[in-house]
Amino acid sequence: MTIRTSIILGIATAALMTAGQVSAQPSKAVTIVLPAGPDRLDPCETPRSVIGRIIKQNVVETLVELDYANRTTLPRLADSWEQTSPTEWLFKLHPGITFHDGAPFDAKSVIYSIERTTDPALTCITRTKYFDGTDIKATEVDAHTVKFVTGKPIPILPTLLAQLAIASPNTPKGKYTAQPIGTGPYTFDTWTQGEKVVLKRNDAYWGAKPVIEQATYVWRSESSVAAAMVETGEADLAFSIAPQDATNPKTDKVYPNSDSAMFRLSVDIPPLNDVRVRKAINLAIDRKAFLGSIISPKAELATQQVGPSVLGFNPTLKPWDYDPEQAMALLAEAKAAGVKVDQEIRMVGRPAMFSNSNEFVEAAAEMLRGVGFNIKLENLEMSQWLEMANKPFSPQRKPNIFLTMHDNNSGDAAFTAFFKYHSNGRQSELHDPELDALIVNAGTQSGEQRAAEYNEVFRRIYQDIVSDVPLFYMVNYMRVGSRLDFTPTIANAVELQLAKLTLKP
Amino acid sequence: MGGFIFKRSLQSVFSLIALIVLVFFLARLTGSPADLYLPQDASPEVRFQFNERLGFNDPLYVQFGRFLVGLLHFDMGESLQFSRPAVDVVLNAFPTTLMLAAITMPIVIILSVITGSLAAFRPGGVFDRLASFISLIGASTPNFWVAIVGVLVFAVTFRILPTSGTGTPLHWVLPVAVLTLRPTGVLVQVVRTSMITALSSAYVKTAKARGVGSRAIIFVHALRNGLLPVITVASDQAAGIVNGAVIVETVFGFPGIGKLMIDSVMLRDFAVIQAAVLVTALAVFIINILVDITYALVDPRIRYS
Repeated sequence: MTIRTSIILGIATAALMTAGQVSAQPSKAVTIVLPAGPDRLDPCETPRSVIGRIIKQNVVETLVELDYANRTTLPRLADSWEQTSPTEWLFKLHPGITFHDGAPFDAKSVIYSIERTTDPALTCITRTKYFDGTDIKATEVDAHTVKFVTGKPIPILPTLLAQLAIASPNTPKGKYTAQPIGTGPYTFDTWTQGEKVVLKRNDAYWGAKPVIEQATYVWRSESSVAAAMVETGEADLAFSIAPQDATNPKTDKVYPNSDSAMFRLSVDIPPLNDVRVRKAINLAIDRKAFLGSIISPKAELATQQVGPSVLGFNPTLKPWDYDPEQAMALLAEAKAAGVKVDQEIRMVGRPAMFSNSNEFVEAAAEMLRGVGFNIKLENLEMSQWLEMANKPFSPQRKPNIFLTMHDNNSGDAAFTAFFKYHSNGRQSELHDPELDALIVNAGTQSGEQRAAEYNEVFRRIYQDIVSDVPLFYMVNYMRVGSRLDFTPTIANAVELQLAKLTLKP
Repeated sequence: MGGFIFKRSLQSVFSLIALIVLVFFLARLTGSPADLYLPQDASPEVRFQFNERLGFNDPLYVQFGRFLVGLLHFDMGESLQFSRPAVDVVLNAFPTTLMLAAITMPIVIILSVITGSLAAFRPGGVFDRLASFISLIGASTPNFWVAIVGVLVFAVTFRILPTSGTGTPLHWVLPVAVLTLRPTGVLVQVVRTSMITALSSAYVKTAKARGVGSRAIIFVHALRNGLLPVITVASDQAAGIVNGAVIVETVFGFPGIGKLMIDSVMLRDFAVIQAAVLVTALAVFIINILVDITYALVDPRIRYS
């Protein structure tokens, strides 16, 4: 054999071996493709989907778990709980659990996690989004009972605790960790920056033993490549692929992602301070025409800021009909009453807010021009958009139709109503004392009464005030490979429980 | 030579300082990181705490002074995204980009020199027309399109290459091929033009008259004289790749510095932006020095005294 032949044979053998490595998956290992990689893997950041989808309920668990389908909460690390006074709760912990590092899961570890998460030295999203202003204190009653005392009544404390991951007491305080240690069915193995995260099954898990032995998370921002990875068998599941790449009905599954797209109207600024003009905008946009064209055909027409999985969603509200004649009639009526309906109105979008959002605002602007509005279209970069979205609003601002995308995956309308519609809400255009009182009161209720009061809040906003133009409840597409038996749900917007993945026989 | 390198280094230090100052202030004109890192409904207290903890509440000149003091210790601050030293984050990503450039550029240069030289030997001939046609396509086809088509053809349809990732040597084939396309297209044109000029010179005619073979005329006599503009353009292309092959890194999931820089700009991760700019500027400076030395080696008329 000549040297040249040896070299050629060597290269060919290496190529074949590596090719084999590329497509072969160990039988009970899965590879999951995310749209973006994590920046940190800290348990206090699990409400961020980029982190929660990897570690929430896999590596770290919560005391309480959200049941999106039934709009309620389920026990997880806590077996039960009771509200002993408006500001006091007792949580009974599941006994006999240990963290992956051997530390016992008990009342002290829960208190440690609460303290670490609410420590201002870290900007944990669990604190800044859910626990800011709650003034929550946890104390030990016994090894497996924790008492929570809050500064003000919080009827949805279990819902809040569904966002708080319990980490080992050996997790450093005041410093983010990249090596999460929890009680979950999977242990953190490795994180290679920019490449992958690997989790391994925790055979000492306190609950049912999952089927999947190992999960490798990789990330591809290019949707067609993520979809191709599943198609070629390099990966088993691609979390979020673009509608145009979801071409295989057998593998591409749609699920609601808890995002609602909406136009917010600057209701104080003429001509948008006239309710006829606001109604005309709602009537002039043909929402159904977008479904199946530039918006997924699986998206649903929105009726309010929160979706059906959120407690407080008002099922009696209906989507606006497309009725350009009525829109023109309302505009004519407003004009006759002295409203300057032909004044320029800014329509503000943001590139890549959702798939085809640029095309959407262009088409929506054209529909509004069609009934007589004078629309000037602008697309703003993220930080410019945020500056315009948040208070304080510029005193010089012009009337605007502002595209927003709101995500409420916490299951309760409280995380939407105050922020978006109360006079003190950071993104609220409204200042209606009666509505403010309704919002505050709804927040103090629980159960059916809470749902009923939020129903009234949304009825008032969408039927009486008409401060928004509800558009769509958005969906994501997940490509699930042929080895897996899995159907995504709205919960997968923020987490993917590996224990729920099963392999086809 | 030593004096020349010292002089060039000194000039580059001034450029680097200007660059660092510009990047520091320009990055901060793009908005507050608090808007991007905190929930949209975060309270003013939380926003204040965030800015206080990271020093963003201080006047800009205080932040700049702190940055300069850190720089003296090669401490570029902590990445907002990764909560790790920015220098570590950048140095973690940079080898992948360097490796891409180190594999791509030799291929580009060899392909371009051979193709461009042969095309120049008979301008207007079949090979010249073919080479010009293909190189123009290479130079003008968008990388992202070639990359995605490459994945569809070689990974999805024929299943002979992986779609993306970095695990094995095969994972590098598509990214390097895509990255090679455009610089090769540009460089073939440069080599061709330069060689046509060299081949029409008097010394080539003399060599032909003396019966020297075509291969020796092209690759021994003309090529050395036609190389200077090629080196200039090749170094420019190499600097482009070292600055980050953003498209290739994005499509193929390569953890390089280009994608890191784009993500850091989008997320206002000032420390990483500054560290990445500094590291790539240093790399480009080293490339320029190497190019100057190569000039001297290729053309003895050039002296750096």
